[in-house]
Amino acid sequence: MPSRPRPPTPERALTPLRLLTGLARPHKGRIAIGVVFYTLAGASSMSQLWMIGRIVDEGFIARDGAALTSWLSLTAAAVVAQPVFWAMGYRQFTRAEAANQRAIVRRLTDHLNAAGTGVRGRVSAGELVNLPSEDTRRAARSIADFGFFFNNFAMFAFGSALVWTIHPLLGVVIIAGSLLTALVTGPLLTRLQRRQSDYREMIGDLTAHAADIVGGLRVLRGVGGDLLFAARYRERSSALQRKGYRVANSSSWIHAMRHSMPIVFVAAITWVGALLAAGGAITIGGLASAFSFATIFIAVSGNFIGLANFLVAAWVAARRITAFLSVGADVDDSGTVRGVGGELRDPDSGLTVPVGGLTVVVTAETAPALEACERLARYRDAEAVWGAKPLEEYALEEVRGRIMLLTDEDHLFAGTLAATLRVDREAALTAIETACAADVYTGLGASLDGRLAEGGRNLSGGQRQRLRLARAIAAEPEILLAVEPTSAVDAHTESLVAERVAAARAGRTTLVVAVSPMWLARADRVVWMVEGKVHTVGAHAELLADPAYRRLASHRTD
Amino acid sequence: MSKTKTVEVETEARLPIAGPAEVRRAFGRLLAADRARAVQVLVLYTLAAACSVAVPILLGRVVDGIGAGWGVGQINLVCGLIVACVAVQFVLSRLGRRAGYRFGERAAARLREGVVAKVLGLPLHRVEQAGRGDLGTRTASDVNTVADLLRDSGPLVATALIEVLVLYAATFLVDPLLGLCALITVPPLLLAARRYLRRASGAFVAQRAAMSEAAETLSASGAGARTVAALRLQEERREAGHRRAETMYQRFMRVLRLQVEFFLLLLWFNRMQLVIVTAAAGMWYFEGALSLGTAVAAITVTVRIANPTNAVMVQLNEFQQGAAALARIEGVNLIEAEPRTAVPEGNDLRLDAVTFGYGDGPNVLHGLSLHPREGERLVVVGPSGAGKSTIARLLAGIDRPRSGTATLGGVPVYDIAVEELRRRVVLVTQEHYVFTATLRENLILAGPDADDARLAEALRRVDAGWALAAGLDTMLGDEHRKLSTAEAQQIALARVVIADPPIVVLDEATAGIDPASAGNVEAALAAALAGRTVIAIAHQLQAARSADRIAVVDGGRIAEEGSHAELLAAGGAYAALWRAWEGD
Repeated sequence: MPSRPRPPTPERALTPLRLLTGLARPHKGRIAIGVVFYTLAGASSMSQLWMIGRIVDEGFIARDGAALTSWLSLTAAAVVAQPVFWAMGYRQFTRAEAANQRAIVRRLTDHLNAAGTGVRGRVSAGELVNLPSEDTRRAARSIADFGFFFNNFAMFAFGSALVWTIHPLLGVVIIAGSLLTALVTGPLLTRLQRRQSDYREMIGDLTAHAADIVGGLRVLRGVGGDLLFAARYRERSSALQRKGYRVANSSSWIHAMRHSMPIVFVAAITWVGALLAAGGAITIGGLASAFSFATIFIAVSGNFIGLANFLVAAWVAARRITAFLSVGADVDDSGTVRGVGGELRDPDSGLTVPVGGLTVVVTAETAPALEACERLARYRDAEAVWGAKPLEEYALEEVRGRIMLLTDEDHLFAGTLAATLRVDREAALTAIETACAADVYTGLGASLDGRLAEGGRNLSGGQRQRLRLARAIAAEPEILLAVEPTSAVDAHTESLVAERVAAARAGRTTLVVAVSPMWLARADRVVWMVEGKVHTVGAHAELLADPAYRRLASHRTD
Repeated sequence: MSKTKTVEVETEARLPIAGPAEVRRAFGRLLAADRARAVQVLVLYTLAAACSVAVPILLGRVVDGIGAGWGVGQINLVCGLIVACVAVQFVLSRLGRRAGYRFGERAAARLREGVVAKVLGLPLHRVEQAGRGDLGTRTASDVNTVADLLRDSGPLVATALIEVLVLYAATFLVDPLLGLCALITVPPLLLAARRYLRRASGAFVAQRAAMSEAAETLSASGAGARTVAALRLQEERREAGHRRAETMYQRFMRVLRLQVEFFLLLLWFNRMQLVIVTAAAGMWYFEGALSLGTAVAAITVTVRIANPTNAVMVQLNEFQQGAAALARIEGVNLIEAEPRTAVPEGNDLRLDAVTFGYGDGPNVLHGLSLHPREGERLVVVGPSGAGKSTIARLLAGIDRPRSGTATLGGVPVYDIAVEELRRRVVLVTQEHYVFTATLRENLILAGPDADDARLAEALRRVDAGWALAAGLDTMLGDEHRKLSTAEAQQIALARVVIADPPIVVLDEATAGIDPASAGNVEAALAAALAGRTVIAIAHQLQAARSADRIAVVDGGRIAEEGSHAELLAAGGAYAALWRAWEGD
């Protein structure tokens, strides 16, 4: 199959790093302000703890009421200011995060239009749900996590420096304590998460099993198996519980360690500080300060690793987003010819659609007939011909505007009936009438403002099919290729639909793939396809002479 | 092309949601069911917290000791005691956590097993009215939310909360008046938390809803990529996507405003407490009412309170979500099971002057009577929406008629116990569910005593050669072997052959099978069901000709009834339809 080269991709390929930095770039100012506020917050938070030492030494021990009052007032000022600084920093970074979410969803939306039908079969439905929700959330929060990381770092830097001024030995202990806590508990936590992955998998299995029971509830109640499935669920639930017990054995050690490590260093600081204080190397106030520092920020050091994990998650999400953003279109869009072609011809199957009239394709195998229609409607690159020129020489826009394919895959978007049919009131009601979809109209409140749920979920399968047909009729394409448009419709209604569609589309070109006497009775021309190739073309009455055709296309007994 | 018709009745019949009092009771039940363990967890957590609180209190002793001129030996002794406390605390904390996780694990298991048992006993019409999506969410993600709470955040918050309580107790132990001072900031903090929770829960739910709406819009654009191309909807889809993005942003900003306000208050109250305690300690120290060591101990204990307090506050939201999920789970328990105790005598199934409608909707059937004779093959035909599927549901005892009676063996069908009923009547719809399980498990549910030979025979009867070739141990389901509509339908029919009930109701049961092979399957099925009473609902006419009797339904009434020949001779609606169908 000849295929022209695709348009070249943009000069620089999108990488997760470029995506994330690209998202951060518009927020440079915000990040800078956020960093300043987080720095101020860290400084004022740590200075409060340092001032505790001054209060004890210069206020309590010196029994100096004035000094006590002034240090207390300074502390109170810091206490009032610090949450404000922190909140302002938090606000800057989180606003950037929210803006990032919006930017990513916009970008995903725009790319869906750019890739067009290219996403079909290449991006799963599950991915399309995850991309704008979980992946967007994870990628967008990278910027806020950077902020938290910086905030913790500021506290660490100021705190270490202040403890160092009390006594270098205490500084060494507190820095070592923070680093050790981060280095020991972080990796332990990561290992725990890995070990929990099969436990999580079991939870997933059990959840799926529960969903299975709900989904097949009618079978389980109506045919049997409820006791069987209940027993199987209980069995798996107990297995999960046993597994959970095993996980609890190790995770309790790790979490206890995470909780206790900072306390161990508090004890170490107390011991070292007490000995220094007894020797007169530090004051009692210094000891109280050091103790407070240890209490507050060794606990914070565990956060570093948690944040690192979030950044890894952001990276993974960004990779999935960039992968989606690099999915391109699946049909070539370099044709330039404008205007109408003429007869449509598909060399692969031999199917031709002459201008005007109703052509009905009869076949025992629907799939190859559908593929032939996809080639004729340009949803696959192929050697189809429109009039004198290959179909792919026509501008895609032109083809889409004039040739319409109607299948059961067509989607009904959430919205009103009027928005679905996309024509004025009169034309909409006519199209509804033609497709015998009056029950849809009345079912939605006998108003074109009646709302459809996404995918037409609030309609029955037969109603969805007739509404899709009505939409295609309303669009009045010059050429309509309809594959099994009435497969879910009863014989009586099908007969009416065939009659009305034939009348409504008089003067335009219509092709219907259907094995139904109701359609064949209205056909200007019948194409009998066998195993994906045209076998015979003629009038229904003529073809009936062939017993094989009669078996397929008529319900009459011989 | 598959021919499917899903019956999705839109009604107000949502499943109930439990109120706050019921949720509290449910939570109480979860704790009470494992009372001894709960007490054990509580004691271990409390002891561990007491050991960690001993550290700042002993620091106070050291401070006073240094003032009194302690030697290195005495300091080492007390500091050694501190280290011992930390070590004991570590061991107790580990034991407490393990007990806590195990407690959560058991509670989660009890919860999920209870829900599934309940679900399996729910009245089917109730579930179908509410839509299975809702019940699915409750048994899957809601159960997981509560289980995660019981396993992870529950123990975490319990430890932090107990630590907070023990710390406050410690401030009283150090000095009762200072303890009172520390408590000053607690009421406003609780008020702020309460206010935050009230407003934030809605904001968080709205934020998550915005995200799933965006997901729905984008996945619709993807699923409908061809439709977008065919109808050139690009601009509309772009607008829809950007609108969702904007809503996400706005709702995020609302959450942010609430968070900033609350965190601000939280941080203020935390540190204000420290200032108040320090000021009070200074005052009483100057008056000689307390020692320097006591003052330092009170100050450092107060410093410690901030960490666990923040831990509790940050997790508040998870608790709220857990409570919401539990309310939805408990809602399932509020649905009353129907007492079904009637015992039928014989297998005479009939509808007499039944009217029926879904939910509060209008009547679908209007005084309809139908009496399939034993051993006969009755075909019900008629246009879409005539009420054919409703007839099937009444015959199978899923729904109760509004008036008139549906009886089997002289008693109302819907009063017969499910186990008894399915030995006599089996309904097969075109909604042919395949479980994620082996082929054998998918079949044997219809006859627990059936051996492999019988299962294979049933598959042969429904012309499912592919299944015989694959083997009974083949895993079915989307992730394993995904079945086509026709294959899934063959599984459903094979189940009927295995169950072998005297009465079978087929509601468009062969609609999904290709025209070419539908004939084979129907012929095989007819042979397999020979001698049984078969009521077949059809919108196409293939099945009608060979029937013993045909009932034509239109507008919720029987329009015509008789054999194929009789109805053709009568020249009514059926005859006209048949001629069109034949291709005249």
